[in-house]
Amino acid sequence: MKHPESNRGTIRVTELDPSFKLEVLEHKEAHGLNACFACGTCTAGCPVHEVFPEYSPRKLAKMVKLGMRKDVLSNPYIWYCVTCHNCEQRCPQNVKFFSILNVLKNMAAKKGYAPAPWIEQTRQIMKTGTIFPRNEESDKKREALFLPALKSDGAKAKKLIKLTRIEKIKAQIKS
Amino acid sequence: MKKYALFLGCTTPTQVIQYELSSRWVCQKLGIELVDMDDFVCCGINQLNLNQEAGTLLAAMNLAYAEASGLDVLTLCAACTGHLVESVEKLKNQETKDKVNMKLKTLGLEYKGKARVKHISRVLYEDISTDRIKEKIKVDLSNLHVAPHYGCHSLKPESSFDGLDDPDNPKTFHQLISAAGAIPVQYETLNLCCGGKSFPVSKEVAFCLVQKKLDDLMTQNIDCLAVQCQTCYLMYCDRQKEINKQLKKKYNIPVLLYPQLLGLALGGDPKNELGLDLNTISLNRLLAKVGVNRKI
Repeated sequence: MKHPESNRGTIRVTELDPSFKLEVLEHKEAHGLNACFACGTCTAGCPVHEVFPEYSPRKLAKMVKLGMRKDVLSNPYIWYCVTCHNCEQRCPQNVKFFSILNVLKNMAAKKGYAPAPWIEQTRQIMKTGTIFPRNEESDKKREALFLPALKSDGAKAKKLIKLTRIEKIKAQIKS
Repeated sequence: MKKYALFLGCTTPTQVIQYELSSRWVCQKLGIELVDMDDFVCCGINQLNLNQEAGTLLAAMNLAYAEASGLDVLTLCAACTGHLVESVEKLKNQETKDKVNMKLKTLGLEYKGKARVKHISRVLYEDISTDRIKEKIKVDLSNLHVAPHYGCHSLKPESSFDGLDDPDNPKTFHQLISAAGAIPVQYETLNLCCGGKSFPVSKEVAFCLVQKKLDDLMTQNIDCLAVQCQTCYLMYCDRQKEINKQLKKKYNIPVLLYPQLLGLALGGDPKNELGLDLNTISLNRLLAKVGVNRKI
């Protein structure tokens, strides 16, 4: 797989934002970032990188450290992670890249870069308590197999996660 | 009889009903009592993408309900397992726990950290044991060659699974397949992720990952792939058919969920008790090979 954007131009120091790294490090899930010495073990073991080389945990970690705020947060590839945990399983410095990436995705979501499918899942949970609610077909199949009827109630989940203001996150508008 | 709160997750009860059916049947056969919980909701793993706190809150809510009924949790989905056990680890931090409990109070709940979370395969492996499984086998599966697929979240992060298995060289699922009487097959892409979590965002990435494993499996002398998670199942079974159609490929690898494989060995009815007819790639050849002469 290749992507036309894989050749970014020169990085200009004047475009870098040193406060970005500090902002990321404010989240305790991202504390390990300082220990990263960019050895690339994470990228070497990443299954997404293998089929889609533009996605690279090492590169993303470096971009955060350099302060490339917009390049990181608007990067569509940060959402490609398969959450396999290989990066942190193999890191010699015990950096939890999976947790750092979640911090980055949360920041990107606040800026309006979240892909629509994840927003739709949140909406569905608040409505029904589940990502894939019962439907006529599943009800029929379950009844025929004598499986208990499913409930559909998102009231409690909604009450709870609204406390995080997650419902305010808007989906990325595709240009 | 060991009793667990059954955590069905979001996908299994509506999209991979055969996993639930066969799991309930196998548990009942082996003396594991499953309690249905009305209050369980989504485990919260995908919410981590948008807001980590929301993801942890949903996990804590589920765990608090299990705790309140005095039960440990039995999961079917690898991702639910991974997220719940990771949340248990995270909530060992007093500050995090206090923050979460402040919010759980709005539902009249408190998380104390008492409920343990175990995937069904782990319950079979630890509570029942491979030796006791072997004693119950009724149908000989010894001519079946089965490729195991573990599912990332049933092994990693390693620190959340207190020494259950080695993620780089896992053995437990191989042993469970052997316990069912079949022959586990080692293969190069054993540890490759199914790509399920990238599927909603990039079908292309997900399909590339699925094909890498299927390409490897096509060169192996196997009768089926065995999985222990419904998302892995959907990626390798339903998506296999989709890839064949869309990309004009000719993959033909039957996929079984582990309780279906074990259920066959325990003498379960292929259709009514194990739901083999609901698997989208035909299992008739596999059934004929083990002498179960019931067309599904």
